[in-house]
Amino acid sequence: MKKVFAREELCINCRLCEVYCKTNHSKSKDVIKAYKSENPAPVSRIAVYGDKVASVAVNCRHCDDPACVNACITGAMTKDKKTGIVSVNEDKCIGCMTCLAVCPVGCIKQGNIAFKCDLCGGEEPACVKNCPNRALLWLEAGGVKS
Amino acid sequence: MKYLIIGASAAGLAAAESIRKYDSEGSVTILTEEDYLPYSRPSISYYLKGKVKESNMALRKPAFYKQNNIAVVTGAKVTAIDRHSKTVKAGRKSYAYDRLCLATGSVPFVPPMENVSGKANALTFLDLAAVKEIKQMANEKTRAVVIGAGLIGMKAAEGLVKICKSVDVVELAPRVLPSILDEKSSKQVKKHLEDNGIKFHLENTVVKAVSKGKQITAVTLKDGKKLACDLLILAVGVRPCTELAEKAELEVNRGIITDTQTMQTSDSNIYAAGDCCVSTDMLDGSKKIIALWPNAVQQGTVAGAQMAGADLTVGGTYSVNAIDFFGLRICTCGLINAQGDEYRDIIKKDGEEYKRLILKDDKLVGFVLINCSQNAGIYTSLISNRISLDTLEGDITDAPSIFLFDKDTRMTKLRGGVQI
Repeated sequence: MKKVFAREELCINCRLCEVYCKTNHSKSKDVIKAYKSENPAPVSRIAVYGDKVASVAVNCRHCDDPACVNACITGAMTKDKKTGIVSVNEDKCIGCMTCLAVCPVGCIKQGNIAFKCDLCGGEEPACVKNCPNRALLWLEAGGVKS
Repeated sequence: MKYLIIGASAAGLAAAESIRKYDSEGSVTILTEEDYLPYSRPSISYYLKGKVKESNMALRKPAFYKQNNIAVVTGAKVTAIDRHSKTVKAGRKSYAYDRLCLATGSVPFVPPMENVSGKANALTFLDLAAVKEIKQMANEKTRAVVIGAGLIGMKAAEGLVKICKSVDVVELAPRVLPSILDEKSSKQVKKHLEDNGIKFHLENTVVKAVSKGKQITAVTLKDGKKLACDLLILAVGVRPCTELAEKAELEVNRGIITDTQTMQTSDSNIYAAGDCCVSTDMLDGSKKIIALWPNAVQQGTVAGAQMAGADLTVGGTYSVNAIDFFGLRICTCGLINAQGDEYRDIIKKDGEEYKRLILKDDKLVGFVLINCSQNAGIYTSLISNRISLDTLEGDITDAPSIFLFDKDTRMTKLRGGVQI
């Protein structure tokens, strides 16, 4: 499966990935509305950590044997057998955040329910499309050997 | 090969799925005494307060069982296991097995109280059937009394407070959620719960009930106080459901004894998983009951694999739990009640946020996070992978992130070793 891969050495901590993720997961798909008026406020599923010296964007690794799926107490968190995408069923999630308590990379966002990267459904994700300096790549999980 | 599983919650379902992963041919049957296909028991309090619908409580879609050729027999209460003929008895039917998995979970522990047993409005809070009854009984006139301020009791109280006129909680311990919170943090949580309408009677117990026919009308507490009561929730605690295992003369000591790695019981054809078993905590080697979901799934997965002849073993067992009450979020992991000089605490409190990290030597062995559980799984991975804190780069008391690790480790975690 294709995943988002981050290159720390190219990340400039601009956090545009967060802006476009949040917008793409909003109802309006409009940056201003997503940030200023939508209620409930949409949640970015990617986050940049670090400082001006070193930073990197973290989102879901869509693990082969996901700890979050195994820990989910409602059956809301599942890994799609065909696409490999790990996602939350928003009607089933009760927001207990057990998934967040076991995710080893720290990519689950807390709201009234759990939010996480859904790889924008399988097309080239908004974070990758809008990263100005190609610090985020959309690659087969095997990666491109350098 | 005939696989039989008793119990249809986290461990039982995980065992069935795991068997199917390794054996596509054998017959897999789950027996449950309940009337429902596997559903999320922790969701019952959310069902009570109307946050989830019954149909959204199903752990798998109904089609899943057909697709995976897993038979679930509902309403099948197993009364005996015959190890010689390798059959179990449920009602008039008997089911044969080559490999059996006991995933019988917990049963409520109800201490003796005068005039409570058998009353129509005294209920436990553990399964969907009980909660459906509670939902029918409770209304805006109901004065509810909950016995027990543990996780189950508090979830019941949270669900009831929206519906009922009043909710009183009676707890023997001097604090709320005594199994997961220390004194300081439980004070904060208690205040939050009180602000949301729950009334507490700590260091107290219900001694007896006053009743009119089958209905309890009031309860008398140890200190002599009398509370009007239209609905009594019995949530003092749970204990492993080991009755079948004991009758079948399997080794039981509080919970069912299994091999720590394979989940095999003292009978080589019988496995056990989840709340009904004794677990070995990898963090201090102690034997305990870890009645938590992730543990049940892990043990069920291993039991199922072993039953199907695969070589999967339990990697390491520890407690991890996350729960919320009226928007207040509590996340705990590891040895939160550790006693002894070898353990030290780092406590950080900032307004509504409370963080307690428990350390032993150079390692993190536990945490309690209230309203600051951001990226808590990174702490959990430090605990479960026994990472030396000396290898970390950032400050462990800050909100954890990938930058706690050095660059190589960061890259491995994000890229899974892939070069780009």
